[in-house]
Amino acid sequence: MVSINYATREVSCKIVFYGPGLSGKTTNLQYVHLKVPSNTKGKLISLATDADRTLYFDFLPINIGTINGFVSKFQLYTVPGQVYYNATRKLVLRGVDGLVFVADSQPDKMDENIESLNNLKENLAEYGYKVDEMPIVIQYNKQDLPNVLSQEEMNKALNPMGWPEFKASATEGFGVFDTLKCILKLVLEKAKAGGTAPTVGQTSPPAETPTAVAPAPPAPQAVAPPVAPYEETPITREPAPPQEQPSTPMAPAARQPSPVAAEQPRPQPVIAGSSPASSPAPVDRPGEFSGESAGPVAAEPTPAPQSVYRPFPGNTSEDEQKMQSLEPPVMPAINPEPQVFGDPGSGLPGSDKNTDTNITNPAGAPRMAPSLKADRPRKKRSFFKRLFGLK
Amino acid sequence: MSDDSLIIYEEEIEQIDSRLTKLLKGAEAKCALLVDKDGHLITRQGFTHSLDTTALAALLAGSFASTKEIARLVGETEFSVLFHQGKKDHIHMSLVGERSILVVIFDDRTTIGMVRLYAKETADELAKIFSHMSDRSHQGHPEVSADFAATAGDKLDDIFKD
Repeated sequence: MVSINYATREVSCKIVFYGPGLSGKTTNLQYVHLKVPSNTKGKLISLATDADRTLYFDFLPINIGTINGFVSKFQLYTVPGQVYYNATRKLVLRGVDGLVFVADSQPDKMDENIESLNNLKENLAEYGYKVDEMPIVIQYNKQDLPNVLSQEEMNKALNPMGWPEFKASATEGFGVFDTLKCILKLVLEKAKAGGTAPTVGQTSPPAETPTAVAPAPPAPQAVAPPVAPYEETPITREPAPPQEQPSTPMAPAARQPSPVAAEQPRPQPVIAGSSPASSPAPVDRPGEFSGESAGPVAAEPTPAPQSVYRPFPGNTSEDEQKMQSLEPPVMPAINPEPQVFGDPGSGLPGSDKNTDTNITNPAGAPRMAPSLKADRPRKKRSFFKRLFGLK
Repeated sequence: MSDDSLIIYEEEIEQIDSRLTKLLKGAEAKCALLVDKDGHLITRQGFTHSLDTTALAALLAGSFASTKEIARLVGETEFSVLFHQGKKDHIHMSLVGERSILVVIFDDRTTIGMVRLYAKETADELAKIFSHMSDRSHQGHPEVSADFAATAGDKLDDIFKD
């Protein structure tokens, strides 16, 4: 099939040289490769046996240059002509745009010609290609040999369809280019008839009406939706919006006593799992909370005067009472459900026996790194030290 | 013939190229090619300047086609992944949709597992793009430039002279 790439502005067509074994298909390509200008041809690749019989295919890319703004490329293939290579022969036919049937003009090869031609029709039919719609040129090769059949005789036996026909000798070179030029023109004509030849300046699919020739049709609207453009999606820890957890005293906006918080029973200040996802930025306190990625419960003193929470050894009983009247530190709000905080040592969620953050964080906050876990006992001790004014 | 033609527009190539670039970065591969089963090179990314990508595309498509026949002989529909291991460079091929092949060429700086992982992900993404292209192709093709074939004919006469 014709391949049209509007990004690189290239048109690519596939031409296959078909025919019986030893009819001269590879020799045709070798002559083309030998004679065309070097800036036009690519490397001739032959997948052949040690005896120089084509095993899979020969391949020669031809670039005829820019036509109406599009680089026109042709890929010339041959097939293995021997009968028992039909499987690979059929594979090469896939996506073919035009065919050259290379017939051997020797009288004793006519049966092989007919057999190969019938095989071509069968293989085309297996791909769903219609012979009468496929550009085909027939070449009567080896016309340089003595005692070959005439063009009329070959035509009568092989060309009832009236395909363009050429007498040729691949070894001597005559008729090779005529055959090639004819098939290339037919392929381009066929592409034109099929409506696939490119229009200069077109960069995107046409609008709803295919016949509208616009220099710059609108870009396809459906390009973006099927596949979203790639975006890096790193795992980030974003603090939860405070309004999503209004009953959470730990939320920055709710540190001051609020009606909602006042109605709740005041939990004991315990340290349980904290969530980086819902906690404010941690405050580094060397020797106390270093290494903790999330702010612990009672770490941050409130800037309000009554929120002087940090105890010190010289506290009096009045200070202790005052301290107890303050808003206690509580857990960061991970779960919108009211959390149950157990007593220290009870083993309930929130107690100090549960050191795994996931236990008290059913919302699925990331598990702490082992190195951070190791810091947790030290963090608890420092909290109670500060709470009771101990050193 | 025209209904099966592969027509690719700039927007689609940009999408494909971005995914191939992502594949190369993720898998740390040398280059990636997207080839259709007929042997046409669709696009390429990475270090391909030293490669004859046209011939490579034709041969890889042929290799893939032959393994499909092998698969059929052993009772499979087709092999969706092929891997060629060399001394330094290796080739990983995987099927993209119905008509394309994603080819990744890599060396020992990465592993087959990484390439396979990213190639699978990329193939799935590319299949969606091709699915959209297939849907679009049924809406019609661009109008023919009237003198395209005639201009090509003149050029052919210039090139193919005995």
